[in-house]
Amino acid sequence: MMNPTLIGNKKDEQMTFQNKLSKGDFVVLAEMNTPKGVDISDLVTNVRHLKSRIDAVVIPDMDNGVMHMSALAGGSIIRQQGLEPVIHIYGRDRNQMAIQGDMLAAHVLGIHNLLVVQGENIIHGDHQNAKPVDDLNELDLLDMVQSLVKGTDLAGFELKGRPQFFTGCRVQPIRDDNHLEKEIISARAKIDAGAQYIMVPPVFDIAWYTHILKQFTSLNVPVIATVFMLKNVGMARYLSINDPGSKLSEELITRIRKAKDRETECIHIAGEMIKELKAEVEGIMISASGWEDRLPAILDCAGL
Amino acid sequence: MITAEQKPLNEILDYISPYDRIILVGCNECVTVCAAGGRKEVGLLASALHLNFLKHGRTVEIKEITLERQCDPEYAEELVSEIDRTDAILSMACGCGVQTIAARYNEKPVFPAVNTKFMGASVSQGIWEEKCQGCGDCLLGITGGICPVARCSKHLLNGPCGGTSKGMCEIAPDVDCAWCLIWERLKALGMEKRYEEIMEAKDFRAAGGGGPRRIIRKDLSL
Repeated sequence: MMNPTLIGNKKDEQMTFQNKLSKGDFVVLAEMNTPKGVDISDLVTNVRHLKSRIDAVVIPDMDNGVMHMSALAGGSIIRQQGLEPVIHIYGRDRNQMAIQGDMLAAHVLGIHNLLVVQGENIIHGDHQNAKPVDDLNELDLLDMVQSLVKGTDLAGFELKGRPQFFTGCRVQPIRDDNHLEKEIISARAKIDAGAQYIMVPPVFDIAWYTHILKQFTSLNVPVIATVFMLKNVGMARYLSINDPGSKLSEELITRIRKAKDRETECIHIAGEMIKELKAEVEGIMISASGWEDRLPAILDCAGL
Repeated sequence: MITAEQKPLNEILDYISPYDRIILVGCNECVTVCAAGGRKEVGLLASALHLNFLKHGRTVEIKEITLERQCDPEYAEELVSEIDRTDAILSMACGCGVQTIAARYNEKPVFPAVNTKFMGASVSQGIWEEKCQGCGDCLLGITGGICPVARCSKHLLNGPCGGTSKGMCEIAPDVDCAWCLIWERLKALGMEKRYEEIMEAKDFRAAGGGGPRRIIRKDLSL
């Protein structure tokens, strides 16, 4: 009989993302959302175009509080396409029983990379009347993963077969040095709770990005920087106003506005950012927010 | 009313033992009625704390004050004359009272001496039961005056579930099945047809799903 811990898991062979990070190789991740519906053709097509060029696909779960196909299914699809998935886990929509059940399911479906995130407030999503659960916060989720990996659920009962996970955490957009200090303390607590890598949200000012990344790299776990692809002037303007941590300057907005081909300019901006960051971090994660078909062009531009 | 229960003495002692001068503040409203934090309980807790400190050779100054309504900023002002002569405030009010005092006296640590429990009513001497969860969209008009949100253990809006037995809930033999009570009451009122009306899923924004709630009465605000 097959060892239950091995079902759905060929860890050494498959977990290139973890292996590469631990060896110090630069990793390239791309974020891809699951569809709002059951038509997975775009997702599959985009994955196929990127298969040989990236190390893993990050699948958000109900990103921005918008109902989508669950990340668990998304991760499974990515796996079927021969790429490694990283799925988001968060506490807004599921209680501790549901999340633990999904984590066991993730393992047997071949999903071994997790990213613990904070869920967007339900009032900012598309199901504003839904009941938020918020049973477990990020630290609780990291503890939960540790517990499952050790073979025990949160109620203290023994599991039949232990799941294996490579788990990261995400930090919040950082406005200033005071905020940075708090996020470093928070990141340290997450690492103590079992986070094995840190994902830093997108920043558009390279000096500020480098400054904050240096602080996070001092925590001695791999740091992955997010590069967010701007799609137009409106999006850039929105981020500059509503996300002070993005440090998106008026000059950058003007650069997009004055470009002859704004879309190409946005691709160049993302590509240039990746080039600038490559020496600072262990990996990058590109978030194309719906423009995943442009990801190959961004990678071309970044020389990856 | 809001119900509360006194915290274990050791937990209270952990909070206040670093301080030598304490104001112990009770409240004349809900916590007086549920015998958790009124003038009488303030006196009893002060005595218990004095005794405990004396056992360890310490004399701690405990000033006993019971405010008319601790969740009202107007009454919180009554502590002004004492605040400079104290190191910490121990509040026996519900969470609303504790926070009103903490917001007013920002420079002094404020600790709770009770656990705020629920919105409930007295069913007999010394027993209070949960009756309302403040869901913000009262259904009592269509459920015969019995709240399924607070009193059904699954908060079912279209009950009962399979766990009902002889009018009791499966979670414990002494917990009424709210939906049995609703059915009996609707029957007594001749309003059985109401039971057949299917209630839609609740909008949890009214219940606080979208964040802390606020009431603004423009006709009353200054």
